[in-house]
Amino acid sequence: MRMAEHFTAGQRVRVTQLDPPSHTRAPRYVRGQVGTVVALHGVHRLPDDVVAAVAEPRVEPVYAVRFAARELWGSGEHNVTVNLWESYLTAAAKEA
Amino acid sequence: MRINDVGGMEGFGPVGIEADEPPFHADWEAHVLALNVALLRRGVYTLDEFRDAIERMPPTAYLAASYYERWLSAIGTLLREKGVLDVDALVHADG
Repeated sequence: MRMAEHFTAGQRVRVTQLDPPSHTRAPRYVRGQVGTVVALHGVHRLPDDVVAAVAEPRVEPVYAVRFAARELWGSGEHNVTVNLWESYLTAAAKEA
Repeated sequence: MRINDVGGMEGFGPVGIEADEPPFHADWEAHVLALNVALLRRGVYTLDEFRDAIERMPPTAYLAASYYERWLSAIGTLLREKGVLDVDALVHADG
């Protein structure tokens, strides 16, 4: 089943604090972190489902999400952009 | 959490950069790449399954392996699991 896009460029999103023993494309260093959607990369099968041999893998939007290195690791002036599937993301509250 | 997920981890030392680095450092590496592309295109397994098979390597073996050694390990794992490669037959064929 194809899922519609829930997020748009510029939106703040938080990565789910997941830690599966199985395959996922959400790296540990962004889990629980808040970033900004910078682009949509179309819709793709969720790798977690593909590898788990789910009969009908979820087909989801994939977003390029930008994080400040300082927020991930405590230092650094650069940004890190990670491609993340819709399932990994929730809407984050606006900046205070 | 799997051993491959080392993004942001310190202590591995600098990334070695070779001037005029060749695409492959040995012929077997090119053979491994060609084999993987052929198996992916024939639909024997998906790219997601290939990544997963690399991640499932025993952590100590994963850390000790080179890039294409990881590829070869994953190809072997998937061919056994998909029933393409019969390890017993292979061993017997070798004598």
